[in-house]
Amino acid sequence: MTDPIDFATGQAGRMWRSMGERELPSEWRSIVTPEFALGADQWPPGMDRREFLRLMGASLALGGLAGCTRPAGRLVPYVTPPEEALPGSPEFYATAIPIEGYARGILVESHLGRPTKIEGNPDHPESGGSTDALTQAAILSLYDPDRSKAPLHRGAEQSWEAFEAEWRAFRPGLLAKKGQGLALLSEPTTSPTFLRQIGRLLAAFPEARWYQHTPLATYGVGGSQMDFDFRRARVVLFVGSDCLFRHPACLRYSRDFASRRRVTGTAPPGSRVYAVEATPTLTGAAADFRLPASPNRIRTLLDAVSGLVDGNAPAEGAALTAAEYAFATSLAHDLRSAAPEVVCVAGSEQDPDVQAWALAMNAKLGAAGGTLRLLPQVRSDNDPRSAGALDRLAAALRADEVQSLFVLGSNPVYTSAEFRGLAAELARVPFTVHVGSHVDETGALCRWHLPEAHFLEAWDDRRGYDGTTSLVQPLIQPLYEGRSVLEVLHGLHTDEHATSYDLVRQTWEAGGGEDFEVRWARWLREGKVEGTQSAALVGPSAALFPTLSRPGASVGLFLLLVPDASVLDGRWSNNAWLQELPRPLTQLVWDNAALISPSLAANLGAKTGDMLRIEDGSAAVEAAAYVLPGHGPGCVTLSLGYGRTRAGAVGNGRGFDATPIRRTALWENPNISVRRTGSTYPLVTTQHHFTMEGREPVRLLPAGRMLPDAADPSVSLYPAWKPGTNAWGMSIDLGTCIGCNACVVACQAENNTPVVGKDQVSRGREMHWIRIDRYFDGDLDAPRILNQPIPCMHCENAPCEVVCPVGATVHSSEGLNEMVYNRCVGTRYCSNNCPYKVRRFNFLDYTDRRDSPVNLQKNPDVTVRARGVMEKCTYCVQRINTARIDAAKADRPIRDGEIRTACEQACPLGAIVFGNVADPRSRVAALKREPANYSLLGELNTRPRTTYLARVTQELREAPA
Amino acid sequence: MKRHEPTTADSLEMVAPGQTMESVSREISAIPLSAPHMRFWWIGFSVSFLAMMVLLGSLAWILTKGVGVWGINIPIAWGFAIINFVWWIGIGHAGTFISAILLLLHQEWRTSINRFTEAMTLFAVACAGIYPLIHLGRPQFFYWLLPYPDTMGLWPQFRSPLVWDVFAVSTYATVSLLFWYVGLLPDLATMRDRAEGLARRRIYGLLSLGWRGDGGHWHHYRKLYIVLAGLAAPLVVSVHSIVGMDFAIAILPGWHSAIFPPYFVAGAIFSGFSMVLTLIIPLRSVYRLEGMITARHLDLMAKVMMAMGWIVAYGYFSEFFTAWRSGDIFDRYVALNRVVGPYAPYFWALMACNIAAPQFLWSRRIRQNLVALWAVAFCVNVGMWIERFVIVITSLHRDFMPSAWGMYHATFWDYSTFFGTLGLFASLLFLFIRFLPMISMTEMRALVVAKQKERP
Repeated sequence: MTDPIDFATGQAGRMWRSMGERELPSEWRSIVTPEFALGADQWPPGMDRREFLRLMGASLALGGLAGCTRPAGRLVPYVTPPEEALPGSPEFYATAIPIEGYARGILVESHLGRPTKIEGNPDHPESGGSTDALTQAAILSLYDPDRSKAPLHRGAEQSWEAFEAEWRAFRPGLLAKKGQGLALLSEPTTSPTFLRQIGRLLAAFPEARWYQHTPLATYGVGGSQMDFDFRRARVVLFVGSDCLFRHPACLRYSRDFASRRRVTGTAPPGSRVYAVEATPTLTGAAADFRLPASPNRIRTLLDAVSGLVDGNAPAEGAALTAAEYAFATSLAHDLRSAAPEVVCVAGSEQDPDVQAWALAMNAKLGAAGGTLRLLPQVRSDNDPRSAGALDRLAAALRADEVQSLFVLGSNPVYTSAEFRGLAAELARVPFTVHVGSHVDETGALCRWHLPEAHFLEAWDDRRGYDGTTSLVQPLIQPLYEGRSVLEVLHGLHTDEHATSYDLVRQTWEAGGGEDFEVRWARWLREGKVEGTQSAALVGPSAALFPTLSRPGASVGLFLLLVPDASVLDGRWSNNAWLQELPRPLTQLVWDNAALISPSLAANLGAKTGDMLRIEDGSAAVEAAAYVLPGHGPGCVTLSLGYGRTRAGAVGNGRGFDATPIRRTALWENPNISVRRTGSTYPLVTTQHHFTMEGREPVRLLPAGRMLPDAADPSVSLYPAWKPGTNAWGMSIDLGTCIGCNACVVACQAENNTPVVGKDQVSRGREMHWIRIDRYFDGDLDAPRILNQPIPCMHCENAPCEVVCPVGATVHSSEGLNEMVYNRCVGTRYCSNNCPYKVRRFNFLDYTDRRDSPVNLQKNPDVTVRARGVMEKCTYCVQRINTARIDAAKADRPIRDGEIRTACEQACPLGAIVFGNVADPRSRVAALKREPANYSLLGELNTRPRTTYLARVTQELREAPA
Repeated sequence: MKRHEPTTADSLEMVAPGQTMESVSREISAIPLSAPHMRFWWIGFSVSFLAMMVLLGSLAWILTKGVGVWGINIPIAWGFAIINFVWWIGIGHAGTFISAILLLLHQEWRTSINRFTEAMTLFAVACAGIYPLIHLGRPQFFYWLLPYPDTMGLWPQFRSPLVWDVFAVSTYATVSLLFWYVGLLPDLATMRDRAEGLARRRIYGLLSLGWRGDGGHWHHYRKLYIVLAGLAAPLVVSVHSIVGMDFAIAILPGWHSAIFPPYFVAGAIFSGFSMVLTLIIPLRSVYRLEGMITARHLDLMAKVMMAMGWIVAYGYFSEFFTAWRSGDIFDRYVALNRVVGPYAPYFWALMACNIAAPQFLWSRRIRQNLVALWAVAFCVNVGMWIERFVIVITSLHRDFMPSAWGMYHATFWDYSTFFGTLGLFASLLFLFIRFLPMISMTEMRALVVAKQKERP
């Protein structure tokens, strides 16, 4: 690399343009080098008008010749298109997304080389064809405009070659010391190739240290991980667990869970589900019986339950409340009578003794080997080669033992309070490198920042929670100069060139054989490597209940930390879809908040939006209060992942940073004090009213009962729609829906729904086409929590259609309520007249800047809506049309299940079913014949095509005599 | 009870004694021609003009950024624009009511105020007409609401009351303009004859369309005027009925009500008369028109206002009664929410302005007290604006789905467009009184003659 030449100052660079310039006397330089020399605006003597025009003309004529230069590089004419590539029809590739290190099989939709949408891979056991909200949103991160685009050396843009040169100059010294002083920090991973690379690196540098850090849960106890089979569990107990929503296996768990919850006829659901928790979770909300309790009361209750299961009355002094006693006796009765088809699940963020209790209870009831399997831990948390966690690295840094530090895709300066105080120690390390997708808090403190390729840009391999390995194949060349961590690791110990493709292949060729190419192709096509599922370990047979300590014996309040539902520990902070996704249960957007129970709010005199100061003696954080009915008493929940300073334009400066008050990797802080600061903060939610006002949009149906007959809806002045071959309709099962938001993000990704920002949401202008309504039913402190997805109802008597003055919203022959964007003038009358308020209006220009990479994500089959236009759920009409064309080409009717709306496809619980209601054999028609089927606001005679299945409720068992 | 005796108010004159045909023409034409009280005019016009510039600025901003600069949202997709539209259209109604319906009913007391109120109608309709255009998300395509021969064969969707609105309002504006202008013709000729200076004479002359006052002219004029009055009369009812149907056609609780069309018409006349009083009380004092717009006129207008107020009050009662009687939980909730919900202060202000305040007019002393009468009229103006606010906002903000309930927070641009149209309205009025006779000289002369015959 040569020094840049500074023509502006005229100081001698190393390059010159001519001999004359090189020998230029210095007094001339001041004339030559400025863009406009002295006197440039003067008419030169001896130049007349004719001369000037002649020269100008010649310059213009010759200027055109500049276009005659051949372009650099080779152009390949598009004579032979790539195999199977058909312009206008997307292709799907199987790959996997790493979520907290674990693989989840996905199919990525690609339009002419441009990935636009992620779907689940039906062949992958950890997906089953569905996705969660994070997976759906991952596509947006690929096109994040704030992704780092080039290596940075102390903040200045540099080339990879410059980094490599510097590293090569540094490396011999390290080699001489066998790598002493070399430290690597990564997140625990499941990637066989990564671990192979680590092995090779440690072989080359035996004294190097590899540390692992995750601010999230470890999903394992003592080298093994619990895996549950909800398909067979007749009684389920969740102890502070959100494993249906946030867990590496949550999609499989959700699917299995739903398989027992689906109700036909008037039968009760196939499982009885109990949940006891402090922080309300979606999993708890899905339970039949949910008991909010503080962490101490949870332990008291668990002790009582283990006693009752043993046949003993609750211990003296346990002093259960009436609600706790009823819960515990019913639970113990159910557990004993349903054993061994029971499952007790303790949350991954619970203390080890609670997890041990759950394991012991499962073992006692004989669930081990049946509904509970112990699997070897697939993630490298306990890898023997690892030198430990972040605290060990911090100690090494303090002792100045680290000469070079590589931070691989981790952000400890944000996620660890301890690491934030180590800026000086970090600065003393001669060679610090951060590899990451963004120049985050850690990247800003490192000497080098290297851009990491997105998982859709590079090769990798990962294992799912059940051990199934997937090859991660890229969909697109890196948009910027990003490289995969595998390539960086490889380059650390060798100069030989290898791409991530080479490295992953080398891993798998080892077990080679002759038909490797065939198998490799199959693995790629199916998105998984067969035969890699973990074999179950021998389960625990002895049931030894641990002594449950009472962490909060002191007088203070509990602080519970949880990963944020959208941004987790901040790793998704710069994803606008996730930021604007209403958080489950709170409906908060763009912020986190300190969740407190109504009773604690009354004690503190706080209401939603009041700033709270949370102190634990040595540290303090401030956060806005959010009063959440059903929250456990005596505790405060604050989610991680907020208060970022270097997340990017989307994530910076949002919410409240919980890290300072978090003790290393702990989730509970049992002795805090909370007081109001007196100031307030504008929290923004998409829903403001949480009671049903006696209207029962969500119907509850006691098991064995029927819904009251709806009034005859056939009264209309207008003739009924003539039923055709196809009549599209949808059924949403409120008994299985857990409100996980996967459908909301899936819809956003499929339908080019814009993000509007916190200010616009605060004005009530969010654009989601499907929303999850949430209601609290009953007692403020222990309510039933209800979720209800609301897409467009596609009413047969649509109130919106009548009032549109230009006919921009019309009825299709197949019963769709269609929105003609081109025709819409924006009177908004349709929205006023929509009783479900599902219509969304482009109040301002919500489209992205024309030059934003985010536009690459847009689905080419869906119009991007302009300012002043109404929009709403279309039942994914583009998918209907695709299926119609396919069916017409094959001269056959459209098959049931052939069309899956984006929300239906994403739903891990199968709660949304779309299809042809005119076909009595279709799934949706069958569901609409169920006795639990009802129309939302059916009394308005709108005749909605989207109908709901009521949530069937069960009763606690009476205490046995 | 004592038999009703003719009292001072009944015996109040339509025209002050001593007015002759000549004095009437002289006094009325003097206002535009010799421009008295210019200080008042300049101050008033300047302020109004500034406010009109605020309107222009607001329109520019709204067209640049989109309607999102207002506080509208989902669920409250209609806000100040619709409230203001209905308010302005309603104000216009007094003019047509006074000039057309009272003409047909031979109410001679309309004579001295019809010109002014017709002008007020036109200007109010001009203000109202702005809102449906700019409240569109894509105002550039407003003409899609018109049935024009489109190459795609597209027509408006005639089931939508917004299309009816287009016809109703445009017909109303056209007929009002014609009626006003035809009525002006003989007066414009008088102005031409009395004006000094060639330019003025030419301009008034052009505007008077060659009126010479011969018998044939008067013959045609009278017929045309009556025909136009006959055309305008049903429009008084139709326009605001259709505006009422803009709401009543919807299934929204609080809007979906059969009482809306008549109740809206009464409300319109109510607000129109209150606006006439609000404007004419100061004007007649400044320009010394007490001889022509007499205490009797004010008294009669106050009575009409009170009567209309009672019809409106019946409308309010009917809404609540229907909500209760229907047993529909949504209707009942909307009714209750208006009274005690977050927008309850608006509702109670509405009750105070539109029901309580007009009751003062039972007292003749108040009807004849200029300040008190003006204050009541002003209250009703405010009240009628609040009425539309209550109808539009409180119905929308809490409808069927509790999950979708919201609140309306008006922005600076909401207020600036409203005050801007007040400026436009006032500017036009000031120009009108500066350049045109604000009382019909023709009809006043006829009235003077008639009164002289009665009083030999």
